[in-house]
Amino acid sequence: MNLLRRLRTLLRRRDTEAEMAEEMRYHLEQRAAEYAADGLSPSDARLAAQRRFGNTAALQEQARDTFGWSALERLGKDLAFAARQLVRSPAFSLLAVVTLSLGIGATTSMFSLVNGIVLKPLPYQRVDQLERIYRSNAQNPDGNLSTADFLALRKAQSSYGAVVAYSLGSASLSEPGQPAELASSARATADLFSVLGVTPQLGRAFHPEEDQPGRDRVVLLSPRTWRGRFAAAPDIVGRIVRIDGEPHEIIGVLPESFNDWRYLGAVDFFRPLALTPADAADRQDLRLRVVGRRDEALTPAEAAGFIASFGEHLARAFPEANSGSTWRTVSLQKDAAGTGAFIVLPMLISLSAAVLLIACSNLANFLLARTMARAREFAVRAALGASRLQLLRPLLAEAVLLSLAAGGGAILVAHWFRDWAALRSTGDNGEQVIFTVDWNVMGWAFAASLLTALVFSAGPALFALRLDLNVALKSGGRSTTGTRGHQRFRQFLIVAQFTLAMILLAGAAQFIVGVNDAQNRRAGWESAALATGSMLLPVGQYRGDAKLTAFHRLTLERLAALPGVESVSLSAAAPFLDWTDVRKLLVEGQPVPVPGQELAAMFNAISPQYLATYGTRLVAGRTLDSRDTASSPRVYLVSQSTARAIFGEGDPIGRHIAVAGGDTTRWGEIVGVVADIQSADPEPNPVTLRVYPALTQEPTRTVELAVRAAGVAPAALIDSIRTTMAALDPDLPIARLATADAFIARSFYQMRFLRDMLTAFGVLGLGLASLGVYGVITRTNAQRASEFAIRLALGASPRDITRLVLGAGIRQALLGSLLGLMGAYAVTSALSYAFRGVRANNPLILAATTLILITVALLACWLPSRRASRLDAMAALRAD
Amino acid sequence: MADKNELLPGTLDLMILRILSRGELHGWGITQRLAELSQSALQVDEGSLYPSLYRMEDKGWIEAEWRIRENNRRAKYYALTRSGRKQLEKEQEIWERMSAIITRVLATA
Repeated sequence: MNLLRRLRTLLRRRDTEAEMAEEMRYHLEQRAAEYAADGLSPSDARLAAQRRFGNTAALQEQARDTFGWSALERLGKDLAFAARQLVRSPAFSLLAVVTLSLGIGATTSMFSLVNGIVLKPLPYQRVDQLERIYRSNAQNPDGNLSTADFLALRKAQSSYGAVVAYSLGSASLSEPGQPAELASSARATADLFSVLGVTPQLGRAFHPEEDQPGRDRVVLLSPRTWRGRFAAAPDIVGRIVRIDGEPHEIIGVLPESFNDWRYLGAVDFFRPLALTPADAADRQDLRLRVVGRRDEALTPAEAAGFIASFGEHLARAFPEANSGSTWRTVSLQKDAAGTGAFIVLPMLISLSAAVLLIACSNLANFLLARTMARAREFAVRAALGASRLQLLRPLLAEAVLLSLAAGGGAILVAHWFRDWAALRSTGDNGEQVIFTVDWNVMGWAFAASLLTALVFSAGPALFALRLDLNVALKSGGRSTTGTRGHQRFRQFLIVAQFTLAMILLAGAAQFIVGVNDAQNRRAGWESAALATGSMLLPVGQYRGDAKLTAFHRLTLERLAALPGVESVSLSAAAPFLDWTDVRKLLVEGQPVPVPGQELAAMFNAISPQYLATYGTRLVAGRTLDSRDTASSPRVYLVSQSTARAIFGEGDPIGRHIAVAGGDTTRWGEIVGVVADIQSADPEPNPVTLRVYPALTQEPTRTVELAVRAAGVAPAALIDSIRTTMAALDPDLPIARLATADAFIARSFYQMRFLRDMLTAFGVLGLGLASLGVYGVITRTNAQRASEFAIRLALGASPRDITRLVLGAGIRQALLGSLLGLMGAYAVTSALSYAFRGVRANNPLILAATTLILITVALLACWLPSRRASRLDAMAALRAD
Repeated sequence: MADKNELLPGTLDLMILRILSRGELHGWGITQRLAELSQSALQVDEGSLYPSLYRMEDKGWIEAEWRIRENNRRAKYYALTRSGRKQLEKEQEIWERMSAIITRVLATA
């Protein structure tokens, strides 16, 4: 049989039918005409022709079998019948479709997340060849490369392929007549875009000769910056903007696809790397992020081997800078998704699958009850010779219809989720996870619907197949509670639902508590009265430390003079977030450690009022103050645990420490010890030691501003801070000027996003499970009405009936919760592995969730049981 | 009606193929040709021709095309395909062999 022709006749079915009829009519007319010519009257001629022809309808039927339409027609009839059945009980159908839509929608949404983060290839050419190259050591497994090391690799790259690099930072962007803006910038080797395979949508990429100091005043805009700041001006190329006060020419705009959350999407504009000879020789400052395009002939393992051995070669050649470090490669696609994604996403998919399973078992239960109500019909049909397949078909058809409708609903849910998620997952700089409801996602929704149909119709269908004809017929159409096996199956479903609900609830609750704990953690600092922001002092106007320090001092004085301000602080970092300035320590009087084995500490240069402003406690010694200037002896504050790590129980005040590396060792005195602090990041930083130099002695270009309000809300200070700063320097942007609490909440948007999703799953799972137990108990009660009536007639009190009904439901809920506790244990163990800040298996939370679950179960069982106990015994007995 | 000349199973297909091997024809034409060649000796519902035609079309032995005939009526013309020609040869050979055997058995037994 020719499949193509079969398909064509199928598609042209109506035409074929018409042609068939036309052909036969033609034949009949010709024959009738012949008879008429022989002298018959027209009507007799027609009748004679028909007799000669045979039964037209039967012949056409015979022809249809040839075309294979009959099977299709039967399927159509099954579906039509199922549709009528569903329309006849609209409440059930609606409930089923909504339940399933939510369940399938949850998994579809999670799949669209996976699709957006992991599956969708990065918008570059031959992404499979692109790799990130990392330098790992004890402090940082994902370290960047120093410029000298990168240049060495670039020179020796012949067998590997192409390597390119970029560094990330911030820069102020201003145009004449517009306020300056702090933007995220990257400096990249001129060939970054050609190696990625990205062509600008406007203008051009960098020329190689622009990758040198002095000729590097050119800038490529991200599509987002072009749209947002320059209103998508078509004549943007050639325009001059000021970056850090220096004029730069805009040479192009990157393509729209470049706004990808996963990789480089947060960057507002790119400039050439343009290394000075001093930069190029630097082996200490690990600032280059390196990407390689593997040669086509190399396997990933071979390439990794080459990179690793090159790292070993550098470690041997420059032990001071590189000993203890190893180099490794990670596929860029995988790297961009983030390592956490490979734990979190499977977990989210599994949790959403748990929601779907609960929805499925709900429906299985409902369908089972419906099938039971029709047990007699099935028995009669079986007795009349219907095959098992014929019995099964209407059930399957109903399931398929329901789940297809739900698949449509799921796509709607995924659509809503996309809008919600796009909003919730927008980064600080407007970069987004790009979710699309594409064919991948649609395919998933469709496959999930069909699988779902199979899962939830299997139970009732099995029941229909195992139907005992005799029993069903003898029951005389009375409602029954079904066989023992059938009741077991129902109980199993309820237990399973509660198990899954418990896993969802406990997993979600622990994560929620963990994230909230971390975000509400004000460990060693306060934020309630603070307004904060970041500033970047451009090199152009603020050349040299003296100018920086002068501006810092002026800022502190002016802001402190504002009404409602208690104190003002400037520092290199704020305590809310992890500090990024990690340096190796030398301790006076202690042997110089082997390179790679030094103590590492995070550094944060602070102004005098820092401790008072953030509310960090001074434990011993003095704080930094106006005595400490660029010309005075170097001083440091250290945290308590730092003092303990270096000096044990000894007194740290008066001891000297220095930063390892560099040409000369500059010792500084420890003048004070401050309380330990912890950031609001749920992820603990591997480096725990903290050292505070004086901002006057280590002035930084980027400073975190904090203003502590007294007597007024911090939000009320924001306008006056802005005007004061604009009076000091109109070209200076203050980024993220907001209350500290708002800033902290904003900083962990990804965590909060995850938390909200888990909350939704937990609530959904609990809701569906309680709906399930409610539905089942209500139906069972309706079917047991006569039994209850007899019990009542024989003297049972309404309370006995309540207890009877309640007892069964509660037992199942309890068993389910208990099993769920074990599952929850596994889920939270995985969670706390992915998020080390989230404490696993907090017994309090587990106990609380169990209590919630049992309360809900109690309520879901109690409502129908009350109705059962108020049964009118006489009416119930007569009804049957 | 015992002397009614009913068709042996499968022989209608063979005859249709044979008639079409002389040139394309529409259903009515095939009926007429069949009556003419058999001298109207075959007793068969004329309509049973059509399921046969559709089946053979489905198998790819014949192909059909609509043509306008006189006074703007359309008719569906059937023609033998290459595989239909092969089928005809095969069936004709089988038929001839079988009928020879049957004739021989009937003559000599």
